[in-house]
Amino acid sequence: MKALMSLGALIGVAGLLLLGGMIFDVVPSNTVRLVEGYMPIQLLLEVACFVIGFTGLSYMMNAMGMALPRFWQGIGFWIFLMVYLKYRVYPPIPFSVRAMYGTVGLVTVFMWVSANEEDWSKFKRPIMNVLDAQTGMNRLLRYVYLVLIPILIGGFSFNAMMPKSEEPIELRTVHPAPPASTKVHGKTYTLQTSQNPYRVNPDGKYDQEFSNANIVEQGMGRLMKPNANPWDEKNQGYLKYVREGGEIFFQNCHFCHGDNLNGRGLHAFAFNPIPANFTDPGTIAQLQETFIFWRVSKGGIGLPNEGFPWASVMPPWEQHLTVDEIWKVVLFEYWHTGYYPRTWD
Amino acid sequence: MGLLVGKRIFSIVALCMMVGLLLLPVVVALPSLAIGEETHAGDAAKKDGDKVEKGRDVYYKTEGIVSGAPAPKTTDGVKDYPRYNFESRVLLWFANQQHLYYGSFVLAVPIFCMIIEFMGVVTKDKALAKRYDQLAYDFIKISLTAYSLTAILGGILIFTFLTLYPAFFSYLSGIFRPVMHIYALMFVAESGTLYIYYYGWDKMREGFLKWIHLSMSVVLNVIGTLLMFLANSWIGFMMSPAGVDEQGRYLGNIWHVIHTALWNPLNLHRILGNMAFGGGVVAAYAAYKFLASKTDEDRAHYDWMGYIAMALGVAFLIPLPFAGYWLMREVYAYRQQMGITLMGGLLAWLFIIQATMIGILFLSTNYYLWQAMGRMRGAEKYQRYIKYLVFLLACGYMVFITPHTMVMTPAELKAMGGQQHPVLGNYGVMSAKNGGINVIITTTVLSFVWYMRGNKVSTVSWAKFGNIFMGVFFGCAYFNIIFLAVYGYYIPANVRVGLSVPQVATTLSCLFFMFALNSFMMKGAKQMGPIEWGKISARSQYALIMLATAFTWMMGLMGYIRSSVRLFWHVNEIMRDNSPWAYTHTVGFAANMISANVLFFWITILFVFWLGSLTAKKVPVESKAGIPGSVPQPAPSH
Repeated sequence: MKALMSLGALIGVAGLLLLGGMIFDVVPSNTVRLVEGYMPIQLLLEVACFVIGFTGLSYMMNAMGMALPRFWQGIGFWIFLMVYLKYRVYPPIPFSVRAMYGTVGLVTVFMWVSANEEDWSKFKRPIMNVLDAQTGMNRLLRYVYLVLIPILIGGFSFNAMMPKSEEPIELRTVHPAPPASTKVHGKTYTLQTSQNPYRVNPDGKYDQEFSNANIVEQGMGRLMKPNANPWDEKNQGYLKYVREGGEIFFQNCHFCHGDNLNGRGLHAFAFNPIPANFTDPGTIAQLQETFIFWRVSKGGIGLPNEGFPWASVMPPWEQHLTVDEIWKVVLFEYWHTGYYPRTWD
Repeated sequence: MGLLVGKRIFSIVALCMMVGLLLLPVVVALPSLAIGEETHAGDAAKKDGDKVEKGRDVYYKTEGIVSGAPAPKTTDGVKDYPRYNFESRVLLWFANQQHLYYGSFVLAVPIFCMIIEFMGVVTKDKALAKRYDQLAYDFIKISLTAYSLTAILGGILIFTFLTLYPAFFSYLSGIFRPVMHIYALMFVAESGTLYIYYYGWDKMREGFLKWIHLSMSVVLNVIGTLLMFLANSWIGFMMSPAGVDEQGRYLGNIWHVIHTALWNPLNLHRILGNMAFGGGVVAAYAAYKFLASKTDEDRAHYDWMGYIAMALGVAFLIPLPFAGYWLMREVYAYRQQMGITLMGGLLAWLFIIQATMIGILFLSTNYYLWQAMGRMRGAEKYQRYIKYLVFLLACGYMVFITPHTMVMTPAELKAMGGQQHPVLGNYGVMSAKNGGINVIITTTVLSFVWYMRGNKVSTVSWAKFGNIFMGVFFGCAYFNIIFLAVYGYYIPANVRVGLSVPQVATTLSCLFFMFALNSFMMKGAKQMGPIEWGKISARSQYALIMLATAFTWMMGLMGYIRSSVRLFWHVNEIMRDNSPWAYTHTVGFAANMISANVLFFWITILFVFWLGSLTAKKVPVESKAGIPGSVPQPAPSH
């Protein structure tokens, strides 16, 4: 047990030193990199390692007679969480999300320190000591808090009331709800039931399983399946349509959406927000193919009211492409990213 | 002997009356349904000579004879939307929400009574049986006062509809004419059954008569549930209409109108929701009484009452997210547009608030259970592991509430380099959220298992093996849930939706198998000490109050979300809302309105509790043999 806790303590100390070093640029900030594709689970595992490390550290300090009071353990863990979220994760997390996590952190720290009477009384002790003010130090602290707390509250109130010239926050809807149907080049498409006419098997029939078997693999390599190279002239049918879609994409779309379809094209950073990243599992992978067809056809200008503030410069591609070309480019986007369009069966 | 036979005859007659009342609406309505439809269609046919106009069902795609008028095309004016100098929609919202709160409460409490009365009948400990019986009686007494208030609020709701939305209500009542009549008759049946059940309590306390009385509670709950199903058909029709053609004309098949795409998921979700809500309200009542108690006996009684109500509420809370998941799946299947508006579009932030509330419910439950371990000797051994449960809950909760659409300034947006955060964006979609909520629920199950074995040491020969097996089972469950949440990103979306099934199965396996195994292990277990009812921290009672408030708030929120997803339609894609209020409120306004509704409900329910306490009998506190001064242990599973 002691050996395990010592190992935990070692992990805790090493982790803290590394995090501190990366924040203060003592060691390169990418010493422990967040690996693309695995970042969400990596983040959780890192925090879990820290929790194990802190447990070991607490155990060892206790064994050495240098136990950290429960009050400071609770406060310290919460501060660690906030620092971790602020400095460890890149790109930076918006304040609104950090505030949510901070609140959850605070609540759960409270749950931990008050889970039983013994812990709760340990946690309360420093607060009660200051309130009781039996010693000179505590009496002094009580007076300090008496002055400091109203000043802090006053400061916050003043800050909240003071007129500001900051940019307003935006509650932008990333995927506004599409209409039930859309009219492109004079033909009406029902989004619930329409299908990509080029997602076909060798018999020419709509077959998503067939196309799913021929898309590139997900992950960092994004490797093509054997015998499924659209740029092989011999390939016909679905792969030929993917090739044609790719040609359209690289003639029209890649300037903004990037040659890796990750939203980092040549002109991408001229826009705010930058164009959609199709490799992100939160974009096209979440949507029905007809949704993409509608968005591409109607562009930013065709966004519904719900899409306020309509921050999209994408042109309505129906003015430049035929219906067939739009379907093919959609086909290519799914093929290249290795995602499958959403279906409801 | 003669008296006993008399009582038996009385009981059987009462039960027959109840069944009769249950069947009354059906018997009365059946001929009118059959004749009504034929004559209706026949009349229409007569008017047009022999030519019968047919229409196509918007949902079932079947053909039917047009038997009703088209949905009115309303205009903004006093004819279709008479009004006070105030937003009519807000008045209707208020009336509807209050009626729903009370309706849920009076439907849930009789189900509790049925369960508690049953527990009282089957338990072998006579003192405990009496306490259960008394508790069930107390519940139904509270429910009786609330029942009157529900009826009054129902009347207010109908008047609000008639006076502020006459065109819409006229159309809806035209479509649902036979259903509304059955509903009214069912309400009469419910009232009659409730009164017989309540006033017959004392006369049917023992033996065979008690079973008859228990059967009455079953009849009462069947009527109540059917009543709710009928009311659900109206909102189901408004969201996903069926049985009408594109113009909204009734096609003569009342079953199609009732059985819309969302009716069944709504039914299930509401039953579970009502039960969880009812449990929360009763638990809060017990918590309030506990905090106000002056004696140890009262504290012990209300501590026990709070625990029972909480356990019943949470038993229905655990499957609630799965029922909600089914409902949303059906919404997406019905209209992708509606699904995206709810979960990815306009109302997505309200869903984040909902996730936050669900998290609060589970966190409060866990916290209460940890506190409750404080009243058992021997539970200390679990205390040091609680921090790991806190960690699991915190991780699950943070993932569960991460928004897909983040609120940020343009500067933050630019710094982030796109709308999607490469790390947190992954938490914002369903695959991760399913993992998050299942981790939370599994952790709650684990807390329950610890609580149930808190003051016991298993004496079975295979105890060590059992403990290892349980530990491995929970470990594998967590691994499976998290693995599937991650794996969900690498497979097609329609398959990913299916992954929720093994995740839910894992969670439910933990619930059923581990509870069962734990019960076997704890059979004849060595007791470290009794459960000292009443010796629990005040914080636990605040957790119960928090639980109830979160339930109430969440019900208000979900009702608002469900209703506002129709956007500018009274009846989705059939009857347009042309009033000046056919817009979606801001999140802030909606939150304030929900809070006002919650506040009003709690003020009035306190009044109801106060009325109930005016005639309250003192609960006899009987000591269990062998444990002087303490009250009996309630839960047979302990």
